[in-house]
Amino acid sequence: MIQRLSYAFRETIASFRRNVTLSVAAVITSAVSLLLVGTTFLIQRAFDNLLVQWRGDVGMIVFVRPDVAPEALAFIKQNLESQPNVIDVKKLEYLDKTQSFAEAQRVFAGDPTTLSLLSIETIPSQFKVVPKTTDPELVRSLANQYRTLPGVAGVSLAEDEFDVISTLSGFVRTVTIGMSLVLLAVAVILIWNTIRTAIFARRREIEVMKLVGATDWFIRVPFILEGLIQGLAGAIVSCGGLWALNRAWTSGVAGFKAGTGVSSLVVPSSYVSGIMIALLVIGAVAGGVGSGVASSKFLDV
Amino acid sequence: MIRLENVSKMYGTEIPAVRDASFDVPKGEFVFLVGPSGSGKSTLLRLINRQERPERGNVWVAGRNINEMANSQIPYLRRSMGNVFQDYKLLPNKTVFENVAFALEVIGKPKHVIGQQVPQVLDLVGLAGKEDRFPHQLSGGEQQRVSIARAFVNRPLILLADEPTGNLDPATGEGIMGLLDAINRTGTTIVMATHDHRVVNAMRRRVIQLDRGVIVRDQERGVYE
Repeated sequence: MIQRLSYAFRETIASFRRNVTLSVAAVITSAVSLLLVGTTFLIQRAFDNLLVQWRGDVGMIVFVRPDVAPEALAFIKQNLESQPNVIDVKKLEYLDKTQSFAEAQRVFAGDPTTLSLLSIETIPSQFKVVPKTTDPELVRSLANQYRTLPGVAGVSLAEDEFDVISTLSGFVRTVTIGMSLVLLAVAVILIWNTIRTAIFARRREIEVMKLVGATDWFIRVPFILEGLIQGLAGAIVSCGGLWALNRAWTSGVAGFKAGTGVSSLVVPSSYVSGIMIALLVIGAVAGGVGSGVASSKFLDV
Repeated sequence: MIRLENVSKMYGTEIPAVRDASFDVPKGEFVFLVGPSGSGKSTLLRLINRQERPERGNVWVAGRNINEMANSQIPYLRRSMGNVFQDYKLLPNKTVFENVAFALEVIGKPKHVIGQQVPQVLDLVGLAGKEDRFPHQLSGGEQQRVSIARAFVNRPLILLADEPTGNLDPATGEGIMGLLDAINRTGTTIVMATHDHRVVNAMRRRVIQLDRGVIVRDQERGVYE
C-alpha cells in the first residue's frame, strides 16, 4: 500500500515537472476563479451585516426604550396589533434586550467604539414590523404616529435605510457569481487539458502498463492526484489572496467615521476562515473531478 | 490453455480480419501463426489478450471465456500472459533493470520480490551485467531480450509474440528463438505470429496458416511452405 502511494506521488510530481507551463496556468486560473468565489461570499456577508436588521421583509423597526414600563410596552404592542390592514400581525416580532444585543454584535462588528458603549442593560429592545400594504406613505404616517407613543425610543423605516444598498448588493452578487462560475469552468477545462497532455506524454508507458496487467485505477490515480493537487494549489493561493484582501478592506473601513454604517461591512475573521475551507474543498473537488473524468475518458483502450 | 470457437472479427463493417477461426492450444505447446501481412495473425493475438473482442464466437483462456469477463477482470487475465512485439515497446527513459521491474511494480509486487526476480530473469535472457544500460545503448537483439525478460518475469502461463524476429538479422533472430524455446521448455505456452520462413522451418513446431483471415492449414511439426 505504502509502495503504491509512493509510486502515485512520484508519478504525479514527475508529470507536474514535465508539464510546468500548463500546470502553472491551471493553478493560476483556479486561484483567480476561487478568489472571486471567495470575494463574492465576503461581499455578500458584508452587505448582509448591513441588512441583518431588515431580514425577512421587515419594513419598519420600532425601538423601545430600555427602561420602558411593562404597561407601556404592552400598549405599544397593542397599538401595532390594532392595525391588521397595514401591518402583517402574524409576522410581528419582538426582540428583547438579549436578542437585540446579539444582533448589534453583527451590525457594529467593525465599529468597536460603538460596540463597547452597548450593554444588555442600555440597549433598546425592538419590534420588527412587516408591512402588509404596498403603499409606503401609509407606513410612513403610521411610523410618525408611533414616534409619539410613550416608551418609544425611535422608529426606523427600511426604505430610508437600505433601498440603494439592497439593489446594489443584488447586482454585485449576480455579477460576481456569474464571473466566478465562468472562471471556475475555465479552470476545470484547463485542468482537463493538462491531464490529457500528461496522458498523451505517457501513452507508451500506459500501453505497457495495460499489457502487463496494471489495473485501471492504478493507472488513473496519479492523474487524478495531479488534477486534485492543481485545484488544491489554486485554492491555497486564493486563500492567501482572500486573507490579504480582507485585511486591506478591514483596515480601510476602520478609517471611516463611526456611525456611517460603513463599519458594519467588516467581516469577522472566523467567517473568512470558513470561506477559506470552502475554497479548499471546491478547488480539490473541481480538480479531482475534472481530472477523474479526463483520465477515464482518455485512458480507454 | 487457449481455445477459439468459430471466432470472427470485423474491422469496419465489410472486411473480416478473422473469419470463423477455431483451434485449441494445449498447455505447454509452441504454435506459429503464419501468413502474409494482413492475414489476421496480429488480430488473433489481440483477441487472445483481449485488446480486441470478437463479433462472433468465443475465446477461452485457462478455462475461462474471456469475452464474458468483466472489464475489471482483464488486468488479472493479462497478468497470466506475457507480450513480445516486433518493436520491443521498451520505455526509453528507463534502464534495462527498470524496464523489467516496471512490469512487476505496476501490478503491486513488493520491492524485495522485484529485487530478487529481475536479476534472475535478466540472467536467464543473457543480459546479466547490462542492468544499468538504457535501451538506446543496446543492440536490437538485446532490446528484444529485455522485452522477453519483461514478458516472462511474472512467470506467465502464456507468452504471445508478434513478429519478435521481424527487426533482427538471421543470426540474432536465431538467438531469440533459442530463448523462446527455452522458455517454452519451462512449461509456458507460446503463440508466435511470424512470416519468417527460416525460424518456422528450423523449429518444426505446430503451424497454423492464415490467408485473408481464414485458417487454411493447421499442422503438427509443420513448415512454412
